[in-house]
Amino acid sequence: MIFGTVAAAAEHSRAQAAQAVRSETEPLLVHAANLYTALSDANATATTTFLHGGLEPPARRAHYQQDLRLASDSLATLTREVGGSAGARTAVRTITEQLPVYSGLVESARANNVQGFPVGAAYLRQASAVLTGTILPEANQLYATEAKRLSDDYGTGTATAALVVLVLVAGVALVLLVLTQLYLARISRRILNVPMLLAGLVLVGVSVWAAVGLIGEQNALTTARRHGSDSVEVLSATRVLLSRAQSDESLILVNRGSDETDPVDFVRVIRTLASPGGLIGEVQTLAEGTATSASARRLVADFASYQAETAQIDRLESSGRIPGAIALASSPGSAAVADRLNANLAGQISAGQSRFTRAASDATSSLAGLLVAIPTLTVLAAALALFGLRQRLGEYR
Amino acid sequence: MRRMPALVVIVFLAALVTGCGSSSDRAQRLTLAALNTPAAKPAPSTPSGPEPRGCGDVTASLRPPSVMPAPGTVPAVSFMAKIERRGYLIAGVDQNTKLFAYFNPLDGQLEGLEIDMLRDLAKAIFGNPNAIVFKAITTAERISSVQDGSVDVVADAMTITCARRRQVDFSTVYYNAGQKLLVPTNSPVRSVKDLAAKRVCATIGSTSLTTLESKAPRAIPYRVQQRTDCLVALEQGLVDAITSDDSILLGFKAQDPDTKIVGSRFADEPYGMAINKTHPDFVRFVNGVLAQMRADGAWRAIYSRWLGKFARTPAPPAAHYDG
Repeated sequence: MIFGTVAAAAEHSRAQAAQAVRSETEPLLVHAANLYTALSDANATATTTFLHGGLEPPARRAHYQQDLRLASDSLATLTREVGGSAGARTAVRTITEQLPVYSGLVESARANNVQGFPVGAAYLRQASAVLTGTILPEANQLYATEAKRLSDDYGTGTATAALVVLVLVAGVALVLLVLTQLYLARISRRILNVPMLLAGLVLVGVSVWAAVGLIGEQNALTTARRHGSDSVEVLSATRVLLSRAQSDESLILVNRGSDETDPVDFVRVIRTLASPGGLIGEVQTLAEGTATSASARRLVADFASYQAETAQIDRLESSGRIPGAIALASSPGSAAVADRLNANLAGQISAGQSRFTRAASDATSSLAGLLVAIPTLTVLAAALALFGLRQRLGEYR
Repeated sequence: MRRMPALVVIVFLAALVTGCGSSSDRAQRLTLAALNTPAAKPAPSTPSGPEPRGCGDVTASLRPPSVMPAPGTVPAVSFMAKIERRGYLIAGVDQNTKLFAYFNPLDGQLEGLEIDMLRDLAKAIFGNPNAIVFKAITTAERISSVQDGSVDVVADAMTITCARRRQVDFSTVYYNAGQKLLVPTNSPVRSVKDLAAKRVCATIGSTSLTTLESKAPRAIPYRVQQRTDCLVALEQGLVDAITSDDSILLGFKAQDPDTKIVGSRFADEPYGMAINKTHPDFVRFVNGVLAQMRADGAWRAIYSRWLGKFARTPAPPAAHYDG
């Protein structure tokens, strides 16, 4: 009976954690990541579109509005489901309040820009400051909170302690059964007690089942993390930082040489993405052996052409040839590189997410049935053992 | 004894699992660290020191050559010849000051009063007003880019002061600006005397800010990094007035019809073109070009093209020579 309780408790905590990972913490993290990437991309789009001046391409405008819609959708979901954490609730509230302020400033920037007024650049600068100074730190906070929760659930869902306890308790129960069997055999001079033997077999059966289930769940959850949600996290961060680099680059040009901070930020962000051990390299490592390994290799190549292009823009900009730099940065070729990077990342994120969903549902189904089977079979084994014991003791009466 | 193999299997499986199982949060730590890449902060601006007193006539510059060379025939041993061999003039300008020097997002061209004057300078060297490359520079780079030779000349709303004259040479005055106030059309503020307890915007590092602090000590200064940030602050109601050179304020007014420029000039801001101290021949040449523009009506034409809508075209600023 003790075995049953311990086994059921171990199985239960694992099952709950696996279920939470699958249907609560990971989806919430994805919403937080979507919010973060949509907001970052909105700013990248708003700033690069600004470079087009009066001739704003309708597709860029639509892209920006789509980003704002995605952000609002994620925000609505998060408002509903963010639950317990006060920090997360505050973050959602702040973003909800500040987002209209941001989009209002972007509209002022745009209205001035289409009239050819340089004050538009000042509005865009301010909009970007609201986003990067107020909104994105909250989105980052929210994301970190959800990431931590997911990590905790993974920890519980793959805790080896549960399995060790299960094996130890099963071992003790079996040893007790064997000893009883031997003792009975000696005093009764009969080799076998059939109910006791059956009890032992049931116990072994349920132990093996539970162990296999727990191992299966643990491995599936580890796969869900390594090939699924880890990829999603690294890819989302890559997207966020790539958008940040694009915003920086555009703002450098919008400010036309009178900008001190954005060039510094740009260099930092590119270093975080590219350097050995940077995010782009991590994307490739995580994608090894999965269906997206080719996409990951393409990402490396596209990122290299993005870097080559920004280097050329930077050369034009730092020699003061701003109109040339702006023409290059707002050229269709430039937009194509950015779109390719974004589409690649989005594709890999959704592939990673489906890998996660598959593995996570393997994890929960590994434990399916055990919740009922462990108590039922343990009671059965105990009943058989008692029955066998009574049979023998009855013969001495 | 039939149970022993099962036990062995379980123990074996347990060993297997502890070896391969538990998930790592390496990727997550990397992700969160990357997302926490700190944003760059603006460097604290260093306040400009007190203006040194007494350098005589601050606007006096070198006398032009008695006969100006025709375009394409500059003296072989001169800084102008070096520019000519390069094929284009390099001019440091701002690109955000409407009417003076700004990048027009509608047609992707730089335009304004200073741009036109610099094109006339290129024309005097090459016979071609387009033989010029404009380099965007920050306010802080105006002196250093002249000193390190990365530009031949700077024309960027740069007031001639004694302190700056120790670092670079200036041409004669090409525009006489003066410090004024820009307020919303319905503002009661009429002059610098009405600024007590008013929030007044000025650009960090500008002469306007120091003058504001001395002429209207009871005003509440609102400091911004870039000129146009002041107009945003005014439109958002964060400030009651902007103080700057009237030339810059005219550009603001052109972008926001609900504003007006008030009061009389409470400080003179004569603009000169900055040139490296090692090229006095070029200073003389530029002064010669400016003298021609004053004489042949080109100065008036440029003024009225950009500022005619806002002010009657005045006489060109008189040239002062001292050597």
